[in-house]
Amino acid sequence: MATMAPDLMIDCVGLTKRYGDFHALRDCDLKVRRGEVFGLLGPNGAGKTTLIRSLLGFLKPTAGTCHVDGIDAMAASVDVRRRVAYLPGDARLPRHMRGTGVLKFFAEMHPDGNLDRSLAVADRFELNLRTRVAFMSTGMRQKLALAVVLGPSTPLLILDEPTANLDPTVRGAVLQCVREAQAEGRTVVLSSHVLSEIEETCGRVAFLRRGILAHQLSMNELFQQHRITGDVPNATARRLIESPPDHVPHALSDRVRLSVQGDHETETTLCIDTSGDLAPMLSWLDSLEMTRLRIEPLGLRAVYDAVHFGHPIPVGRDLRTIHESIGKDTEAVS
Amino acid sequence: MIDRVLVRKYIGQSALLWSACGLALFAFAWVRVWVVGLLDMSQFQSVLDLFKDFEKFAPIEFSALATYAGRIGMTFDEPIVILCTVIWCVARGSDVVSGELSRGTLEMLLAQPVSRARLMLSHATVSVVGLALLCLLLWAGIGVGIEASTVKETVPPPSFRIPLIGIDVPLSGADPVVEIVPMTQRVDAATFAASVFHLFAFGFFLLALSSFFSSLDRYRWRTIGAVMTVYIVELVIFGLGKAAPSLEWLQKLSFFTCYKPQKMTSLIGNGDLWSPWSLSETVPGAMLPPLAYPLILLGLGLAFYALALWRFQTRDLPAPL
Repeated sequence: MATMAPDLMIDCVGLTKRYGDFHALRDCDLKVRRGEVFGLLGPNGAGKTTLIRSLLGFLKPTAGTCHVDGIDAMAASVDVRRRVAYLPGDARLPRHMRGTGVLKFFAEMHPDGNLDRSLAVADRFELNLRTRVAFMSTGMRQKLALAVVLGPSTPLLILDEPTANLDPTVRGAVLQCVREAQAEGRTVVLSSHVLSEIEETCGRVAFLRRGILAHQLSMNELFQQHRITGDVPNATARRLIESPPDHVPHALSDRVRLSVQGDHETETTLCIDTSGDLAPMLSWLDSLEMTRLRIEPLGLRAVYDAVHFGHPIPVGRDLRTIHESIGKDTEAVS
Repeated sequence: MIDRVLVRKYIGQSALLWSACGLALFAFAWVRVWVVGLLDMSQFQSVLDLFKDFEKFAPIEFSALATYAGRIGMTFDEPIVILCTVIWCVARGSDVVSGELSRGTLEMLLAQPVSRARLMLSHATVSVVGLALLCLLLWAGIGVGIEASTVKETVPPPSFRIPLIGIDVPLSGADPVVEIVPMTQRVDAATFAASVFHLFAFGFFLLALSSFFSSLDRYRWRTIGAVMTVYIVELVIFGLGKAAPSLEWLQKLSFFTCYKPQKMTSLIGNGDLWSPWSLSETVPGAMLPPLAYPLILLGLGLAFYALALWRFQTRDLPAPL
């Protein structure tokens, strides 16, 4: 057992995986707390699967360390896998077996395996277990793999794109299973490209880009992010953009970022990204006499795009770049 | 060391192939013994005399083939027997890593708390036991064939040899008597125990070689291609070594040199049932004692299995394609 904080389920330090000159994962520091649902986001090839497969001992990292439930994933990968139920991104099962045979086989393979639970999950997904895997559709195979993985009551559940190829009803059921796993006190790591699913289920999210852990945020933090757009007179817009410290209340100055979306004859469409509680801002917004006002939660999409395209990330501490951003926007306006 | 659940899975996975190979080997061995009983030995001798120039390509001298045991012993070099053994060994050996990787099933399998060594040893157990059972089925086919077959033997009328000129003169004008004798009176199935062991050692080597190539690769088709390339190259080397005295040294480079089932049968013909199991007396026309040859194959097999195990444990496992 390594010395790591007891509340951590996953602790990666400087995890690096290199193939020749190509860095699949670079200096990744990741901590996942016990009992949380943690989301992994990133474009294809960002390193999400490499990270997961390193946790399970499938890949030998070039550098760094990785502990799961206090166990060194490199030195004792079997012990790690005893504590993990893992659904691969492309789960393939023995084609010569029938559905029931597959569930029975994996329930016997895992010390925490539970055939009754697996059968219950399969029933919940309305899966016909009499069919051979070879004759199952892609969606059926995914449901079967989920029934395999959701059977054992392991402390850690890792799901790599669990809802791929599933219909909306089953997607909902899968997300419900994730919530139930969390309610049982299990830790869940969820990798997905469907941002709404991550928003629905995860407590914290990490973004990977080109093998680098580019950003982490908690969903509570994200849910306090809003984008306010509205039209203001050109003079007001110019005043705000040119000298924000003079026109943005001091208490709000590090929680808002201003930019211009459109420039019309008499009015300018102003975009205000806010962080934190919206209530204290309402009086200031009212003073701006905005028309066609729209307030929307920022959502993961905006953060994802910002990470993906390398733009400033509109969340909490990153808003410290507010003045630099405003400076650029000012040049754009003039 | 091995996992009961995995063993059961591998048995289920390979049952069809094993059944097909087993049926072919058993039936072929039985039929072949029966065919041996149909041929008149004296006619067979005259046929062999026609091919005297090609004796150097044969695994044993032609005179040994003029016996029932010698001809039944040829079963172990028959293409069908070799083919069934090679198919089982290459199919199962190539499956262990690159086969599972190709199908993408290794990911889910190794997501369970099972070590790579345990997985490979479980697979090897099923493959090796399957191979042993196939060899025993071949032997059983020979045994059943010997039990069920009879041979026709022509007993010439009594004659008298004239001294000095050496001519046989029949003492009566009666036709030669044809007797039907059970094959069991002429051949003992135990004669082929050493040959069966040689076949097993040959298969074990191929199984281990295939497993080693499988542990290096991620595509099963490439593993099979690599093993068959080695097999054919070794066969050509062996053939060249047999063909020309100047290239005789090539035989030492081929594992086929260690596969001598017919030699074992002829050793028993010239000695006793225990002759092929000697580690002290050298085989006539060979460098080593008879038991050394299958032991070399088994030793090489173990070495390849050890290499396969090491490689599998140290390599990265690529994600399914």
